[in-house]
Amino acid sequence: MDRRTFTRLIGAGAVTAAAAPLAACGRSASGSTEGAVRYAWWGDAVRKQNYEAALAIFSEENPDVTVRPEFADYGAFQERITVQMAGRNVPELFWIPSPQVLTYQAANLYRPLDDLDGFDLSDYPDDLLETFKLNGELNTMPRSIFTPCVRWNQTFLEEAGAELPAYDEANWTWDSLAEFLIDYSADNPQGRKGAAYCANSDMVFESWLRQHGSDLWTEDGTLGADPAALEGWFEWWERLRTAGAALELSEQEGADPEWPVVGEKVLMTLQNSNHIVDEAQQFPDYDFQQRMTPANPDATPGFRFGYLSRIAMYRETPDGSLEGAAKLLDFNLNDARMVAQTGLTVGAPANPRVLEEIRPDATADELKLLDLVDEEMQHEQRPRYEAPPGSGTWRDVMARTIEALALGNVDIPTAATQFTAEVTREIEAARR
Amino acid sequence: MSAPTAPPSPALSGSSPPEPANRTTRRTPKWRRQGRAAHVFLIPWLLGLVLITAVPLLASLYLAFTDYNLLDPPTWTGLENFRRMGEDPRFWASAWVTLKYVLVSVPLQLAFALGLAIVLDRGIKGLALYRSVYYLPSLLGASVAIAILWRQLFGHDGLINSGLALLGIEGESWLQNPSTALSTLVVLNVWTFGSPMIIFLAGLRQIPEELYEAARVDGAGRWRQFLSITVPMLTPIIFFNLVLQTIGAFQSFTQAHIISGGRGGPLDSTLFYTLYLYQQGFVSFNMGYASAMAWALLVVIGIVTAIHFLLSKYWVFYGDN
Repeated sequence: MDRRTFTRLIGAGAVTAAAAPLAACGRSASGSTEGAVRYAWWGDAVRKQNYEAALAIFSEENPDVTVRPEFADYGAFQERITVQMAGRNVPELFWIPSPQVLTYQAANLYRPLDDLDGFDLSDYPDDLLETFKLNGELNTMPRSIFTPCVRWNQTFLEEAGAELPAYDEANWTWDSLAEFLIDYSADNPQGRKGAAYCANSDMVFESWLRQHGSDLWTEDGTLGADPAALEGWFEWWERLRTAGAALELSEQEGADPEWPVVGEKVLMTLQNSNHIVDEAQQFPDYDFQQRMTPANPDATPGFRFGYLSRIAMYRETPDGSLEGAAKLLDFNLNDARMVAQTGLTVGAPANPRVLEEIRPDATADELKLLDLVDEEMQHEQRPRYEAPPGSGTWRDVMARTIEALALGNVDIPTAATQFTAEVTREIEAARR
Repeated sequence: MSAPTAPPSPALSGSSPPEPANRTTRRTPKWRRQGRAAHVFLIPWLLGLVLITAVPLLASLYLAFTDYNLLDPPTWTGLENFRRMGEDPRFWASAWVTLKYVLVSVPLQLAFALGLAIVLDRGIKGLALYRSVYYLPSLLGASVAIAILWRQLFGHDGLINSGLALLGIEGESWLQNPSTALSTLVVLNVWTFGSPMIIFLAGLRQIPEELYEAARVDGAGRWRQFLSITVPMLTPIIFFNLVLQTIGAFQSFTQAHIISGGRGGPLDSTLFYTLYLYQQGFVSFNMGYASAMAWALLVVIGIVTAIHFLLSKYWVFYGDN
């Protein structure tokens, strides 16, 4: 090749590169190729593999639909989709992180789902769909259900010869649980502590607030946590910590206890009921059990609740991808094979028919999840409101508050006031 | 076809003083073809500069004066973001954490790198191997894997505390104690000394051996040789490393992000400036504020670098002065 030919080739390449933005005009407004369906979800490496295997089953049966998986861990997922929102390049199907439901709604990301060919809604009770609408529009679907819970290591409990307070309204209270944990920590042969410091467990915190007649979020999009209930929450945890019944933050590597770190150190954690599926496997020699959260006798009626996680279709899904996206959504929510492949790490299936179909093949730990969700959902439930725009950082604020409290930098009333002020400031900033 | 050649330059022939260049003579067809080729070769770089660097840079300059949440169009707010910085306690906390980090970690890292370079410069056997081994941490230093390893070392049940336990000392997590968390990041930065070490090593090899021989003849000991020959001759290299490492330290992000789970805790003790900037931009969706923070950092780095250059005339010794 002589220099002139080479120069021409380079020139042609440069022209092509310069023309690339024009070539993009052949793509849809969403940034996706016509006919392809991008599916975005979060989790750990095991969940990634399981979902990819499930998507492969779908692809095999639907060779006309090109599925493009987009996976990330929970934090990175939110950051990536934010950037995608700014670029109007959102995946056709995506999971919705709980703090972002109304933020994404405000950004007009969701497409109505009740007019899709290929997506069957007949399994879902009308009242469930009705309560799931946002501003009267069915534009997200319930993907899974999980509940707040108390989980303990039954093996440790038996080793210590201890017994939990009876599981009834009179005995399964916050006070009795605290007393039990303090007793257990003071007198168990392995020197374990009663519980990890789980004050940043969002579901259990919300359960506490609801029992105290308060809400995490109000209908009009503000922080609903009553100052007294908030202080009570911090007091309960500080009582345990100062009595040596809950781990220090140092022992659990931060405000969010890391399960591999604390699994051998404590009898109990307070968290989401679906976590048993993943976390019990990390300590296969032990037997884990779980219960609903305790409640004091004067708890506000209707406080029990389950969280229904959501999935949505992007509003600007191109016409050429719509049918494939509807099929994939249907497979995701209405096909028991999807759940069989992915397991129940995200909670019990929201589709009642799928739930019944997978129950016979559920593992022992998955059955514990399903039973607890059943038990909680049978209770009367007063309405629950989603996190408003701007509240996405509230768990970070809670973590900082807990650090300040547990490290002795602030007292409980100050911690409660600072938490409320900071979360409120973020929400108001988002409103402006 | 051969292009007409220009007449020999008088300057090159040495016969007479150079005359002003004749523009028509220089712009021969060959020159024009070569010029075109040069421009064609420059296009990829130019496209990259414009699309990947210049446009986003200018966009962020504009966004610094707006309220932009990534979802709605930006609205012009003038200097509001910069005024807000003054009232934001976490902004100042992050600036203070970063300043402490720069002031402690950069000198420590340079001293460590220089010390090791001097040891390696003694012509020991297997120098290439040692050089490679010591450079490895620099390749891995800012990576996620090393940050995770750091958690295994400095965590409550980590190797450091296990060692202390053998001595009967019960330690708490170094990463969860606000008094020690930043120190672990300083250690991590010092540990990635490979890059400045290699540059120091190259600089040491450039110092003429005769200078040392002359000093030895005059009875200078090793310490005197180090202070009077090595350090002065290395000052341009020290200056180069100092400027680069200072800029890098101001921009540190990955280690704190991974080790603190993105929060900069405990109690904001590892909240690096860039981490807080990232939180504002991508977690709280305050992209206007984050852009203003980015420009403020650029200005600060520019000022610090300028001060380095101004002060360099007092302590940097070049061979020609």
